[in-house]
Amino acid sequence: MSLRRRLARIGLALAALLSAPALAQHADFLVSTDWLEKNLDNPKLKVIEVSVNPGLFERGHIRGASNFSWHTDLVDTVSRDIASPQQFQALLARAGVNDDSTVVLYGDNNNWFAAWGAWVFDIYGVPNVKLLDGGRKKWEAEGRPLSNRVQVHAPGNAKVKTANAALRARLGDVLAVARQEKQAVLVDIRSADEYQGKVFAPSGVQELAVRAGHVPGAVNVPWGKLVAEDGTFKSAEELKAIYQAVGVDGSKPVITYCRIGERSSHSWFALSKLLGYDVRNYDGSWTEYGNSVGAPIANPAGTVWGKT
Amino acid sequence: MGQDLIVAVTSAPTPAGLVPAAGARLLALVVAVALVAAAFVLAGAGGGTAGRELAFSLLLGGAFGVTLQRSRFCFYCITRDFIERRETEGLVAILVALAAGTLGYLALLGAMLPVPTGRLPPGAHIGPLSVALVAGAALFGVGMTVSGSCISAHFYRLGEGHWPSLLALLGAAVGFVLGFLTWNPLYLGLIQAAPVVWLPQHLGYGGTALVQLALLGGLATVVWRAGQRARVAAPAIARATTSALPPPGLWTLLSTRRWPPVAAGLIVGFIGVLAYLRVAPLGVTAELGSLARTGVAAAGWLPDRLQGLDSFAGCATVVKAALLSNNGVFVLGLVGGAFAAALNAGAFRVARAGAGKLARQFAGGVLMGWGGMTALGCTVGTLLSGISAGAASGWVFGAVCVLAIWLSLAIARRGWGVGRAD
Repeated sequence: MSLRRRLARIGLALAALLSAPALAQHADFLVSTDWLEKNLDNPKLKVIEVSVNPGLFERGHIRGASNFSWHTDLVDTVSRDIASPQQFQALLARAGVNDDSTVVLYGDNNNWFAAWGAWVFDIYGVPNVKLLDGGRKKWEAEGRPLSNRVQVHAPGNAKVKTANAALRARLGDVLAVARQEKQAVLVDIRSADEYQGKVFAPSGVQELAVRAGHVPGAVNVPWGKLVAEDGTFKSAEELKAIYQAVGVDGSKPVITYCRIGERSSHSWFALSKLLGYDVRNYDGSWTEYGNSVGAPIANPAGTVWGKT
Repeated sequence: MGQDLIVAVTSAPTPAGLVPAAGARLLALVVAVALVAAAFVLAGAGGGTAGRELAFSLLLGGAFGVTLQRSRFCFYCITRDFIERRETEGLVAILVALAAGTLGYLALLGAMLPVPTGRLPPGAHIGPLSVALVAGAALFGVGMTVSGSCISAHFYRLGEGHWPSLLALLGAAVGFVLGFLTWNPLYLGLIQAAPVVWLPQHLGYGGTALVQLALLGGLATVVWRAGQRARVAAPAIARATTSALPPPGLWTLLSTRRWPPVAAGLIVGFIGVLAYLRVAPLGVTAELGSLARTGVAAAGWLPDRLQGLDSFAGCATVVKAALLSNNGVFVLGLVGGAFAAALNAGAFRVARAGAGKLARQFAGGVLMGWGGMTALGCTVGTLLSGISAGAASGWVFGAVCVLAIWLSLAIARRGWGVGRAD
């Protein structure tokens, strides 16, 4: 029996046991640190670290994991785009991902960049991709072992599919929603201060927009609300309630955004995978929208460009 | 300057007559225990990886301080002793440290980045090869000569009671600020487009090991032969140091005798490799520079943006957000370790200094600060950690530094009074 089927069966069994269908989503798209440690030797399992801090993976990573650098591997830095199909195909091969592999992604910074990775995997149609719930932080906090020897994998045979445009929002899509020409709900997952326009970006960040504030009509649900103290995702019921409170109930398509699209991948993952809503991630995010000529913004803090 | 001062700061072995008082040994023990206790507190209080890294950095700094003090690992003094007196022990220690560091780093890098193409190893001190690097290394070399030590040696000598080093370090902080002020034009004009040469990308790990070991071995041979010629020419001096004293006990060897150069070099190389594996490459100026940057950033004296600076690995500086940094506790550990080692060896002396010496300390510090900031590190950060990682920038920094010391000493010999006092 393939691992995939076995996992699906475990998921179904759990769902039946607790008669909570939402939990099945958690089981389908998240693995626990405990489960991962016990299954590390399964050849069908491919673990990939996507961290933003250089040197973390090299000094110690989950044994057998491959390293995808968010800065260079998963993005096309010159054209400001996600990795090209050829680039991503080469990455998959390097990480030894096969057609029948189960991929577990994890990373630092509460899995922000690992979630970006999950989004790119989804865009290119790679099945059976899960996040390590709690990410690197939880793995380390639990004192689980790290290795610093890089394993070179036999090239994998998984093939990328045509990019699925339905998972990605473009500036035009967001503008149409802002102008109420299209039905969708925007979720701004940045901090309240960024949303209000009190600050342009968190301190120390160089990539900025010339205006502060948010897309008109967007609701503010900072990403941190979605996770427990240990970084694991809250239950589907809790997530549902958090979004319900701001009017996001899955009845309309959702668009998530942040500053450059990486934190919003984390919320995209929760909404799309754990709650099963129709969600696009807007990776242009505020650095594109806030800089765009003629794009309307909301700025409750009153710091609109030109008046500061 | 009194004779005792010269003895206290030269790279010569501790005179046999120095016997530490019991009180000094007790204090040394207290300092050592305090360092270890602080490490336990940091590991517990910091929580998780951050606390463990702080504790590790503190202990590694302590070990580095003890090693530098016990082996007189002062880059400038060692170079000067060779140039002036053909003393080879110190230089051999440096060459051994570089060889051990190279082998250790390459073994590590082979595990971290099995195929050395494309990206550079994370955080390794591999800098751009530019005229700015040459200028930084040259002024660093002159600054060492003027102030009598490189920055790492000022830290360990501070632990030996050489308080004038504080002025050199203050000068270095001022030099860092000058470096920030000149950074943007230098970066845009010279550094931004300069090539970053990491030898393993061109030669592979094996090739790099062969080339670097051959270079270091060649240098060692040249140094050794020059020393041998000097010893043959003046045999009495050579024999005087190996007089017929009874063989010392193990504790005396460890605590009061100068550590043998090969052992010292191996330990320094090993500490460098451990530091890179667990935290970051060795360096002693990052915290100093960060303090300077934070201070003047608050005063608004800095350019709004230091172009590209934060994208370089090296003894880069940051505006401080947290009180304790890995490099900060490393340097504290270094001074503490050197203090304990000096007390224990009876080598702790509160230095005496006149205004002229203090002025030289400060002026040399300013030159080193500017040079270290512009070259992205000093004799530890750029030379030791750079060459160990296979960075061409480390070799350039080292060569220019030695040349600058040699020239400065030549000028000093003509009676400018520079480089002599220490």
